[in-house]
Amino acid sequence: MSVVKRPSPKAKWYIPGILTGLKITIKHMLFNLASRKDMITVQYPEEKFQYSDRFKGNHILTVKKDGSLRCTACMLCATHCPAECISITAAEHDDPEVEKYPISYEIDILRCVFCGYCEEACPVDAIRMGPEHQTAAPAGDNFIYDITKLAYRAENKGGVLSKVDDQERHKRGL
Amino acid sequence: MPKLTINGQSIEVPQGTTVIQAAKELNIPIAHYCYHEGLSIAGACRMCLVEVEKNPKLQIACNLPVTDGMVVYTDNPRVKDAVKWSLDFHLINHPLDCPICDQAGECKLQDYYMDYGLYTPEMDQRKVKKNKAVSLGDRVVLDQERCILCSRCVRFTKEVSKTHELGIFNRGDRSIIATFEDRPLNNNYSVNTVDICPVGALTSKDFRFKQRVWFLKDFDTICNGCSTGCNVKVSYNANGVFRVRPKVNKEVNGHWMCDFGRDIYKHTNKEYRLEAVVEKREDLSGATVKGKPVALALQEIGKNLKQAKNIALVLTAQYTVEEYEAFLNFFVGKLKVSSIYYWKNNETSFDSFDGLLIRGDKNPNTQGLLKAAQKHNVKLLPVTEFDKSASSFDFCILAAPENQAVYPDITEKCQMFKKSNEVVCITSCYNDSYNGFKWQIPAKSFVEKDGTFVNFKGVAQKIKAGVKIIPTSVSLEEVVYGLTESMGVSI
Amino acid sequence: METKLLTQHYDKPEYQSLKGYQKLGGYEALKKAFSMKPQDIITEVKNAGLRGRGGAGFSTGMKWSFLPNNNEPRYLLCNADEGEPGTFKDRVMMERAPHQLIEGMIISAFAINSKKSYIYIRGEYMAPIKIVEKAIREVYDAGLLGKNILGSGFDHDMDVYRGAGAYIVGEETGLISSLEGKKGQPKLKPPFPAVQGYLKKPTIVNNVETLATVPWIITNGASEYKKYGTEKSPGTKLFSVSGNINKPGVYEVPLGIPFKDFLQNECGGMKPGYELKALIPGGSSCPVLTRDEALKSTMDYECMSQLGSMLGSGGVIIIDDKQCMVDLLNILMNFYHHESCGQCTPCREGTGWMNKITTSLLTKNGKLEDISLLHKIASHMLGTTICALSDAAAMPVMSFVTKFRDEFEYYAKEKRSKVKGDVHYAQAHH
Repeated sequence: MSVVKRPSPKAKWYIPGILTGLKITIKHMLFNLASRKDMITVQYPEEKFQYSDRFKGNHILTVKKDGSLRCTACMLCATHCPAECISITAAEHDDPEVEKYPISYEIDILRCVFCGYCEEACPVDAIRMGPEHQTAAPAGDNFIYDITKLAYRAENKGGVLSKVDDQERHKRGL
Repeated sequence: MPKLTINGQSIEVPQGTTVIQAAKELNIPIAHYCYHEGLSIAGACRMCLVEVEKNPKLQIACNLPVTDGMVVYTDNPRVKDAVKWSLDFHLINHPLDCPICDQAGECKLQDYYMDYGLYTPEMDQRKVKKNKAVSLGDRVVLDQERCILCSRCVRFTKEVSKTHELGIFNRGDRSIIATFEDRPLNNNYSVNTVDICPVGALTSKDFRFKQRVWFLKDFDTICNGCSTGCNVKVSYNANGVFRVRPKVNKEVNGHWMCDFGRDIYKHTNKEYRLEAVVEKREDLSGATVKGKPVALALQEIGKNLKQAKNIALVLTAQYTVEEYEAFLNFFVGKLKVSSIYYWKNNETSFDSFDGLLIRGDKNPNTQGLLKAAQKHNVKLLPVTEFDKSASSFDFCILAAPENQAVYPDITEKCQMFKKSNEVVCITSCYNDSYNGFKWQIPAKSFVEKDGTFVNFKGVAQKIKAGVKIIPTSVSLEEVVYGLTESMGVSI
Repeated sequence: METKLLTQHYDKPEYQSLKGYQKLGGYEALKKAFSMKPQDIITEVKNAGLRGRGGAGFSTGMKWSFLPNNNEPRYLLCNADEGEPGTFKDRVMMERAPHQLIEGMIISAFAINSKKSYIYIRGEYMAPIKIVEKAIREVYDAGLLGKNILGSGFDHDMDVYRGAGAYIVGEETGLISSLEGKKGQPKLKPPFPAVQGYLKKPTIVNNVETLATVPWIITNGASEYKKYGTEKSPGTKLFSVSGNINKPGVYEVPLGIPFKDFLQNECGGMKPGYELKALIPGGSSCPVLTRDEALKSTMDYECMSQLGSMLGSGGVIIIDDKQCMVDLLNILMNFYHHESCGQCTPCREGTGWMNKITTSLLTKNGKLEDISLLHKIASHMLGTTICALSDAAAMPVMSFVTKFRDEFEYYAKEKRSKVKGDVHYAQAHH
């Protein structure tokens, strides 16, 4: 047996509600007609809204000062990813101080849930959630983002610098 | 027999037992780095400190023989504090490499830090810098910074492999593990040093950076690399098998295994395997067709087999006792086949032995095959005699070797088998030499099937299916089952 | 009463040679010893209460009696690897009276029935090595070593082994490792050297001074020896004294004399303008004593251990009021960091860590917390390793930091020395 709560008789008085709603809409319409500059809506996709840096959008792989990837292929992001959308292939670097680096780093962006755990797990600030949010693309486009897309896409302007610098750490003897 | 009490639990142990061994019997954990059951005692890491009643100084459990009436504590605040500090002394110059270190996840420094440490480090001086990623020969990489100088690897090369390559050079906190004059560490047991290294100082070149260990699962099985039958742990995940490590069995292999055994996982992985049935179609002028379901293929083989008059069987000692049993039961018991050939690997070195583990007989189940043959009263003919009557066979069934690397004569022998009319090759690995055969049936590798291997001295050991790599592959038992169905023979 | 039992002829150059030594009564004890039973010699030494002069002060006769009673070959090793900062008595003994040592060794070897002995001399002691080697040659020529010595039927061979300059080899198992041709690292005990030592055979390791005292005890008897010194620390001991005093050097005094008298009478007092501030009584690894403690102390094993220090090897270091304790501790830490063998983790890492902390104090990067951290590190290094080097490094740290904490705090806060003022580290140390 389930008890269904019936709407109160008061709720039947919807006409005032509609009028209140219409009032807001009309007010905004008139306001927008008067000054189009202060309009809240944007003409997407011609115009785009600039989100704050803290917005968890598409991933960015950061780079070192020399432009190479900051990622050490420790796979902590892949370990913590609840959607299991990160796949990394590691390899041995020529420089023994670097030792390990990713030869491929792929994010299946359609599986990603943008939770930001990868960013949290990263010990060297190698992956960040960027301000971009458009994942939409025509059918047949590649939704598996690789290193070129993640680190060196046009929006990143040659790569975003990581905050963790190995050289600094070595200098301090850590 | 002396009796001792550890943390209130009493146990009686044989004379000469050390406290750390007695504690292991009682399942009381005592932290240690340098102590290893298979090696001599170094007493260098000072992690296994315990308090003994009536002894003002803390003692190391690894070098403390049990005396009657001894009362030992391993978990009181004094011991815990001492162990915490021993751990801290290990860590002060240890680099923060965990993200790129292969040992992370199975590192004793991490484990004990969670058990005894969990403090805020007070060390804010410069760490000692040493060499990183030093190559020690073909299979091992050394990171001198990560090394905690427990000397396990040094003792291993001294006491077990008896090759004496490694040593500790220099002194104090400048001490490093190295080889003399940078000579390589190339003995046949070198990767054992990687296993016994409690930290990430020694890593295996083969496994390095392939996977993080927490993505892997282990299952126990028997190495199929030679007739010693070492007990091993195989690490795998959805992408395949990644490494093989020894498992302790004092009867068979002790704590160790050879470097050749480390490579046995390779031929179980997809890239080396025969993934589906390959059929050579005479009606398509000898072109091969791939992908016929195994059951259908066996039905067709069964039909031909029924008409065959002279059948030959070629066996290698790489299958399980159960498979031989089913095979011989069917072919000898039912079909009365008498031409059964035994294909050995490299005859010249077949009986060699290196004194530790490696045997020239590169098959895991030679004894099992011989015993099965004896049971069925079958005389195994050497495969070299196949040539004499090759053309008289109108049917040949070949149970091909799984580990092809130890059968360098495959091409030559396959030319010989091709002389018979119709060859059914049951093989787990792909090989170009099999291309002329009428049928190639994908067989299960040793990590995919249950069964028994009998080693050189007659110890029967179970192997277990731990992972599925080629779903369509079949064992010899399943082949026999398929054939009986199509031929209408009951066994 | 004559208090110089061993050193009374040290000023005579002829005492170095066999002839001169024999003229002054040398090798008479050996003749007497051969007329005794080996067991009686051990009992005599035990009765004399002779304690090891190398640092630990363990009863020598007792040590000898630990040897298993069988016919296995056994070895007598003389520890002349005198590396303790502040100690230099063995050098003087070997230079002035090599035959005293050799005679003592032959007697001791006879007592423990050893056919072979080695004198392990530290590599830096070039002069003593040459002198002792020459003396051994003389002794062989005179038939006092070799087959059937003095017709007693006892055979003995002796060799000099030159060390390669490691402090840790002064530890007896380290010495054995080095003698075996291995890296000079202490060995795990048990088994003790008396059971399984050099080449896995029973071995006795004794200090130069201990062995050189044996002939005197044999000649004069245990009861005569006991007339010197205190009840528990009988006999005389050689002290090597350094510091800003008028007469630094090696002095033999009966154990138990007050330090105050020793400083005034033997060492001629402090140099003018210098005041006694602290005392390290037995070589650098002993805890330091403050002025007050030093002045009321007597120089024997018991009093020193009562004051929380040790008589050690008798390397008396006198620290005056112009010395900065932070600086001194840093020098000691440099030494122990350099000399740690690297086998046990607490010592290998701890000595380095403490050296870095004291250096950071001197380079003006020190923090106040570092002082208590130093004490914490040292206290956790104490008694946790195979040999005593970690204790040797930890004990001075703990005593320096507790007894002279004000100087350390001043350095950490003001970034300059309380005593010496502004010292530039690089200038002072390079």
